[in-house]
Amino acid sequence: MNTLGKHFAIAALLVLSLAVLPALITERYLLGEVVVFMIWAVVAMHWNVLTGYAGVFSLGQMLFFACGAYAMAMLSHYYDVSPWVGMPIGGAVAAAVAFFIGLACLRLSTAYVALLTLAVAYMVYTLIITESGCISNEGGRCQRLFGGTTGFSRIEDFGFRPLLRGNWILGNYYVVLGAFAISISAALVIIHGRLGLAFRALDDSTAYAAARGLNRVRYRLIAFVVTAFFTGFIGAVQAIHFRSAGPSLFDFSTLLFVLSMVIVGGLRTTWGPVLGAALMMMLLEVGKSVGDIRNTLIGLSLVLVVVLMPGGLMGLIETLFGRLWTRSRKEG
Amino acid sequence: MKTKQSRNSVLSRRGFLRSAAAGGSGAAMLAGMNSQAAAQSSDPVVVGAPLPLTGAAAADGIEFRRGLEMAADEINAMGGILGRPIQLAFGDTESQGDDVISSAGRRLVDRENAAVLISGYNFGSNSALPQVAADAMIPYLHADTVIAHEALVQSEPETFWGSWMYDPSEAMYGIGYLDFLRNLEESGQFTPPNRKIAIITGPIAYSINIAEAIRDRAADYGYEVSLYETVQAPISEWGPTLAKIRADEPGMIAMTHLFTQDQAQFMLQFMENPTNSLIYMQYGASLAAFREITGDASEGVLYATVIGALQDEIGMIFAEGYKERFGETASPNAGGQTYSALYAYAMAASLAGGVGEPYEEMQNRAIVERLQGLIFRSPMGTIRFNPQTQSAYSYPSQTDDPSLGLPHIFSQIKDSAQDGVIIAPSPYDKAPFELPRWMKA
Repeated sequence: MNTLGKHFAIAALLVLSLAVLPALITERYLLGEVVVFMIWAVVAMHWNVLTGYAGVFSLGQMLFFACGAYAMAMLSHYYDVSPWVGMPIGGAVAAAVAFFIGLACLRLSTAYVALLTLAVAYMVYTLIITESGCISNEGGRCQRLFGGTTGFSRIEDFGFRPLLRGNWILGNYYVVLGAFAISISAALVIIHGRLGLAFRALDDSTAYAAARGLNRVRYRLIAFVVTAFFTGFIGAVQAIHFRSAGPSLFDFSTLLFVLSMVIVGGLRTTWGPVLGAALMMMLLEVGKSVGDIRNTLIGLSLVLVVVLMPGGLMGLIETLFGRLWTRSRKEG
Repeated sequence: MKTKQSRNSVLSRRGFLRSAAAGGSGAAMLAGMNSQAAAQSSDPVVVGAPLPLTGAAAADGIEFRRGLEMAADEINAMGGILGRPIQLAFGDTESQGDDVISSAGRRLVDRENAAVLISGYNFGSNSALPQVAADAMIPYLHADTVIAHEALVQSEPETFWGSWMYDPSEAMYGIGYLDFLRNLEESGQFTPPNRKIAIITGPIAYSINIAEAIRDRAADYGYEVSLYETVQAPISEWGPTLAKIRADEPGMIAMTHLFTQDQAQFMLQFMENPTNSLIYMQYGASLAAFREITGDASEGVLYATVIGALQDEIGMIFAEGYKERFGETASPNAGGQTYSALYAYAMAASLAGGVGEPYEEMQNRAIVERLQGLIFRSPMGTIRFNPQTQSAYSYPSQTDDPSLGLPHIFSQIKDSAQDGVIIAPSPYDKAPFELPRWMKA
């Protein structure tokens, strides 16, 4: 079995485990938290593809996530578009936005890409919250084109509430699981397929790779657009699950939270971000019963991981397994 | 003898009010129902409170928690809800968006088994917690003060039957402001130098909605909007805005942009060369920080709230008890909101024959029906719900009977060292309106 095949087997196992989880967990709140985990795991995994593998240090991932969520919300609000249609459109809108941002910034060096993507995200956020004109005024309620500071609510959901009533979250759970499976499969294909090979070649020696015909900017742009598509796609899924989308999606603490998943799990490791997402969600869950320590926990985790295990948890696991493997071979 | 009798009656009335605590009409009623009811069970009733305990709104969030703690202790001392003690469970919504708010609410329902959700206000789209309550089929009482709530429940009444806003929407601020001006004029307390109103608003929907309500209705009251300015936040340089005001002097300035620091800077810069204009400021001026920054320049400024502790007998007893328990810097205006909401819920649940558990739709609907018909005199005034909008009636904009609506109280800062004094509406006013010292009589 080749590397991609092995990773697909792991993915299948993970998805299968998540599929049987509702049989073991009956608490709706926990199922809801697993839904949130799957959403953030997709964002973290595609952020890792972009930053860890393609070498594009983007801080605009939450912009693409918000693009998907807003596209879904606006389609639902203005045109009654079904969520099933809105989800891929959300991804496509995020990809289109990423294409134009990428054209402008991917020729720049790492630090400037980070600054520019963050600046664009902040600019969009400011434009949304400072929008004051009303496109309609229903019952004294001003409707702004992009929702203003309130955002959009009452987005059409997947339709499980009338069908499953108290167990509606099960329906949502399996839809999100489907979106999770598709998105992580796409990440695996990128990392371990031809694109990933190109990224590795460009990372080993940009000049040599260029001499062999690899266009650095083109490949970076492809990574930027493809990862934005899946980030926007899962953003649309989140908007449908919560039936709302608003400017809080741009919140810096959310950006930091998702970034911490990537770093804690292990940048440039295939499964690190998923592990990081699970760990950070669990850590915050423990923190909720203690009090106001969310941001402290995130900051502390980041500092500890960066100082003690720069490769993240997955990096540490790989190192430990590597040593055990070498020792057992020597003894053998 | 007659005097003594009269004094006794006053004392006994005060005594009654004290013994009934400050829970208004609710305390006596609850105590009565508890004394007659056999305890249904000794299991506590979990009241879930998704509050902004950290982040930008934490100062109010902590007061909301205090208000609930005070009400819960008082109600438990009277026997709880039909013999069942109230147990509070808090969830931190972190002053964040819908995902965090929703998670906090779901945690309270599914993990803590909350029978009801009660909050002050939260941010986000104001639809996250109504959705949580709808999914769990439990009542949710909040004071988000947004017209978005009314639009939400009217669009899907069968989904959001459990969500009730125990104060009016922010649109009432706009209407109430115009009503207030008209009353000032008609009562001869104020003669505006001209009919112009300058409206200054900020980027937040709440501020914009109030500003638009004033702008859209000003002509109906015979006023003319001479300036409608939207400023960015935060803002400390008011020169350009003040230049426009000075170029076309309005008789009234309505500042609906609500950040305290920004309002204080406006006031300081305005007073360098004041125009002959009556100044109203939304929310920010009600905080002590505004008076501390502006000092004497704050005196004469007007502000309002659609839900605040009254300075009458019930309100003062509540405020005294609240400050005694939580300290002099505690804010009864914020704490009184959740305090009143918990009393209202406890009464409705008692009247409905008991508390419903999550997903017990029938019993929770019965509680909501009782809540809908409740006329509850709280320390903030009378909470009575409009069944269509599922929000509280505002007095005097929506009812001319002070016993049937939550008073939209207008206060004026008379002394920068003291809280503002209520000047309207009657009968809750404690002092007359005074022309600010920068204005010409």
